Amino acid sequence: MQTEIRHRPAFANIRVQLERGDSLIAESDAMASMSSTVAMRARWAGGFFNALIRRVFGQESMFVNEFSTDSEGEVILTQPFPGDMECIELNGNTVFLQPGAFVACEPGVKLTAGWAGFGSYIGKEGLFRLKASGTGKLWFGAYGGIFTREITGELVVDTGHLVAYEPTLKIHMGMAGGIFSSFFGGEGLVSKIRGEGRVYLQSRSMGGLAAWTNAHLY
Amino acid sequence: MRTEILCRPAASVARITLDEGESITCEVGAMIAMSTSLGVETASRKRGGGGGVLKGLKRMFAGESFFLNHFTAKTNNQSLIIGPSLLGDIVSHKLTGGNLVVQGSSWLASGSDVEIDATWQGFGKAIFSGETMFWVKCSGTGDVLLSSFGAIYEVQVDGAYTVDTGHIVAFEDTLGFSIGKSAGSWLGSFLGGEGLVCKFKGRGKLYCQSHNPPSFGKLLGPLLKAR
Repeated sequence: MQTEIRHRPAFANIRVQLERGDSLIAESDAMASMSSTVAMRARWAGGFFNALIRRVFGQESMFVNEFSTDSEGEVILTQPFPGDMECIELNGNTVFLQPGAFVACEPGVKLTAGWAGFGSYIGKEGLFRLKASGTGKLWFGAYGGIFTREITGELVVDTGHLVAYEPTLKIHMGMAGGIFSSFFGGEGLVSKIRGEGRVYLQSRSMGGLAAWTNAHLY
Repeated sequence: MRTEILCRPAASVARITLDEGESITCEVGAMIAMSTSLGVETASRKRGGGGGVLKGLKRMFAGESFFLNHFTAKTNNQSLIIGPSLLGDIVSHKLTGGNLVVQGSSWLASGSDVEIDATWQGFGKAIFSGETMFWVKCSGTGDVLLSSFGAIYEVQVDGAYTVDTGHIVAFEDTLGFSIGKSAGSWLGSFLGGEGLVCKFKGRGKLYCQSHNPPSFGKLLGPLLKAR
């Protein structure tokens, strides 16, 4: 299987060349186009219970699609918003993805819904998050560019900019400054990410776009 | 006429250089900047062509404007910069006699020897393809500029190829498509979130867009305030 992320960073999409015996799991509705030799099959997103949590709390589909072929063929996978994508290789380690970030993974990657905690919920980052573990490649995407930070201690992140993080990190809700600057400085609530590990952030947020658009509607 | 596409793929614009007497037909509102020795003429038909009002009306059904703008150079080396209003890509397709069927809102401009007309692809495709009801059919010889939301990629189809609804930009009419289920079964197609897809058959060039406006709209829409 050969894969390539094309048209980065504005309109990242994945071109996958499948050979006989390969298979790939992708988010529901991620397929933009594919060869007619490729077969697509819907399956539960990590078992019924996980799928249900994903649907109810993550507002995502209960299903993912599995792509495979008897000969060879290509699949183009995309995400709903313009932005960049990242591919990481899991080797027994785990990474947490925010709702909407997951694009695709190799079949060796296990996807489960995990409790993110009330701190994450109050900080508008969701009550649940997607836990990706196992071995294989994992693709996730963002609205805007993706940048990483290695945290030792604490990093303050504005709501809606978190994409993915390692399990050694914990999310707490907090205020950007004092009460005055938190509510009048436009930052409001922020997430405080504590621990040691890597975090993936997006350079724009859908909430920011919505606020901007709302301000220009008349 | 020389065409150069700049700022790909995020915020593409096309720079067209015209010599004396050369002309190009553009979508209304596409002009961003132009040299002073270009004449602009707004009409509902192709320059010097027939059709008039009826063609303009048909074009409106295809998601385009009733009017077209014709830019004609009065002296050599006049440049015109055009672009779509959304973020996205532009590609140039060279027509040499065949026909190119363009998804309604993806037609941006075409050379003066290219005939443009709205075509009806049948009820099934109008309702289920996720595209506009009518399509723009370009024929003749010359360049056609296509725009999209997302990057445009080219697929050389030989046999069969599947495209998700909402991702078609344009295709040569040596290709035809039908609406079908995306997975092996109807249940699987809808559970997997792909639903219906466009199944192309034949041999020819197909242009797809990497992103799809309705999917983005579904995410953004609920965040917007009610009006």
